[in-house]
Amino acid sequence: MKPKKEMKPSRRMIAQAMAFVVAGAVLAGCAAEGPEVIRFTFSKREAIAFMEAVVADYNASQDQILVKMDTSGVDPISASFVRGKPPDIMLANYNFEVARFVERCTLSDLAGTEAAAQSPPELQPLIDQYGKCEGRISALPYSVMAASVIYNKAIFAEHELEVPTTWEELIEVCDKLEAVGVTPFYATFKDDWTVAQGWYDYSVGGSLDVLQFFDAMNAEGAAVGADSATSFQKDFADPVGDMVHLAENYVNADAASRAYGDGNVAFAEGQAAMYLQGPWAFSEIAKTAPDLELGTFPLPMTSDPADLAVRVNMDLAAMIPVESKHQEAARDFLAYLYQPEVIESYNASQLGFTPVTDAAPPSDPRVAGMVEYYNDGRIYQGPSVLVPKTIPTFNYTQALVLGSDPAEILATMDADWARVAFRAPKAAAEAKESVK
Amino acid sequence: MSLPASSVSRRRPKARRRRVEPIYYLFLLPSLTLFTLAITVPGVIGILFSFTDSIGLGDWSFTGLTNYIALFSDPAILQSYLFTFGFALATVVVVNVVAFGLALGLTSRIRLRTPLRAVFVIPMVVSGIIIAYVFNFLFSNSVPAAGQALGIPWLETSLLANADLAWVAIVIVTAWQAIPGTMLIYIAGLTSVPGDVYEAADLDGASKRAQLLRITVPLVSGYVVINVILSFKGFLNAYDIIVGLTNGGPGTATRSIAMTIIAGFNGGDYAYQMANATIFFIVAVVISILQLRLTRGRSSL
Repeated sequence: MKPKKEMKPSRRMIAQAMAFVVAGAVLAGCAAEGPEVIRFTFSKREAIAFMEAVVADYNASQDQILVKMDTSGVDPISASFVRGKPPDIMLANYNFEVARFVERCTLSDLAGTEAAAQSPPELQPLIDQYGKCEGRISALPYSVMAASVIYNKAIFAEHELEVPTTWEELIEVCDKLEAVGVTPFYATFKDDWTVAQGWYDYSVGGSLDVLQFFDAMNAEGAAVGADSATSFQKDFADPVGDMVHLAENYVNADAASRAYGDGNVAFAEGQAAMYLQGPWAFSEIAKTAPDLELGTFPLPMTSDPADLAVRVNMDLAAMIPVESKHQEAARDFLAYLYQPEVIESYNASQLGFTPVTDAAPPSDPRVAGMVEYYNDGRIYQGPSVLVPKTIPTFNYTQALVLGSDPAEILATMDADWARVAFRAPKAAAEAKESVK
Repeated sequence: MSLPASSVSRRRPKARRRRVEPIYYLFLLPSLTLFTLAITVPGVIGILFSFTDSIGLGDWSFTGLTNYIALFSDPAILQSYLFTFGFALATVVVVNVVAFGLALGLTSRIRLRTPLRAVFVIPMVVSGIIIAYVFNFLFSNSVPAAGQALGIPWLETSLLANADLAWVAIVIVTAWQAIPGTMLIYIAGLTSVPGDVYEAADLDGASKRAQLLRITVPLVSGYVVINVILSFKGFLNAYDIIVGLTNGGPGTATRSIAMTIIAGFNGGDYAYQMANATIFFIVAVVISILQLRLTRGRSSL
């Protein structure tokens, strides 16, 4: 029962194959004959081919464990947790969706593993920010993505512009570009996530300490509102105001009806000088303009260059569910994944930062502009993803750049936050503990 | 948590006075079992969960009415109800008026009647999400381009990017998809009107207009009721077309109830959106009862 890798399998075939795998896993558990089959969840589209090769190498390197890769995405995974048959090991984008597995203690403790020993302690607060299961290391960072303003080096050089390090310089650059008829920013407001990820997160993250802000918000809980010491309407008013200023004055005229795909093509064609996207856009831009010289810099939002910081996200974190019946095998594969050559070549291929102590930073010139900030720990996680998903933050940020009254939207966000805290006091209390 | 399946046995028919062939119960059994297992039991469990703080997995505890209290003060939920009902009403009117007109045209003696019918039915067989993505492209690219070429300024920006008008786009696309089904029912209704009443009306000298208003409309009124009820129910569950067109945006202008509920499930807000779904269920039941009351006797449903 060793199905060969099928080329272009249909949905049904995948489903059948998965049923096979599950049945195989159960059978293997009973019979203890042949290799132990473990199910490995990995659904980052851009890197599936890479990870398939890793899995094939691992399977070939020994005959005790057979890893089966499952690329079906987060929603089926949630369902598999509900049914009590989660995958044996997962590498997944670390966000609120995954964090609830952590919060309800459905993931096993990885404290004893070698991978945990290599994990840099300064990244743990970023993981804990989403919630935590007391006394456990539930998730380990595997790939960290840093994101900031992408700029077209040729346009900057042509008009003799320097990378801005303060808000004033940024406005100056924008005005100069406008004066020579170049659109400063290419914006894709039709896709709400691009507004949240770029415009909103960079603006807020460049203005204030995101970690501290959300600690205070968690402490306020249901009391968040117009009169609380910390609130969206108080603390975010200025950064959001600045964001709206940029979005109203320095973007392409048809921004409201442009989507992410349009943006990649237009930016590759040199239709604008700057683009607020993450490193994932590089490969898309390269499809249109493979030789375009691009760079990155943190969006300056204050007059002090010391405030510059880049947005990071735990693009992948490794987790092993408690209910997996193959804990040992999963840990063996985990150790394999964390071998320096595997984790470093993975991150190099995806332009990510390797979250292992003393790992080399990515060498690609396109992300070079962010290395010093990452190394200095001048990083923040996006405020748009640190809010429970039940609050439609992406929609709200879209409304902001499309001209809704910021005061009103931010007040709504406060009310939403308070309401979530009111009906989920448990989660809020846990989040509070985790910040210590 | 294992689910109690005992409620199957509770559902016995009440009236046993008259002797009924047992074979009829046998016929009922499969669908009754399926209905109970697939709809009633999960429904009851879901309602139960609306009183907890469950996120869909892991530990949970009962929190009483907390979810419902939060629900009623949540402007996002309230807005999704307003939007969904407004959208459903508007679409019902558009769909029924257009479909009735088309049905009238396609049942009269015109050229190319059969090919035209086939053309008008095509939208029905295309999946909603695909229609939505195609129209999304049209609204975002083709229509503004046309507006620019023709020099019509209000067409130059995408309808979907306008928070006040995005709902119009959703009504248009939903109607485009829903009209064929409604139209087929109207065609069936119109062809069931006997020809001799029109003959009699002709003899009495009634104009075509009078024939339409005095004969056709009253005789197909049962079909109007069916269409209005069916389409209203369908539009209240609006989901795929909105996801494909605006994804609830711009801002939160076009979030339907179904979208809010599903977003909650995906975002780990299971119990809260279960409460929302429970309220939605009650609202739907109330509307159904009202509709049945109002239309009793007028349709032979």
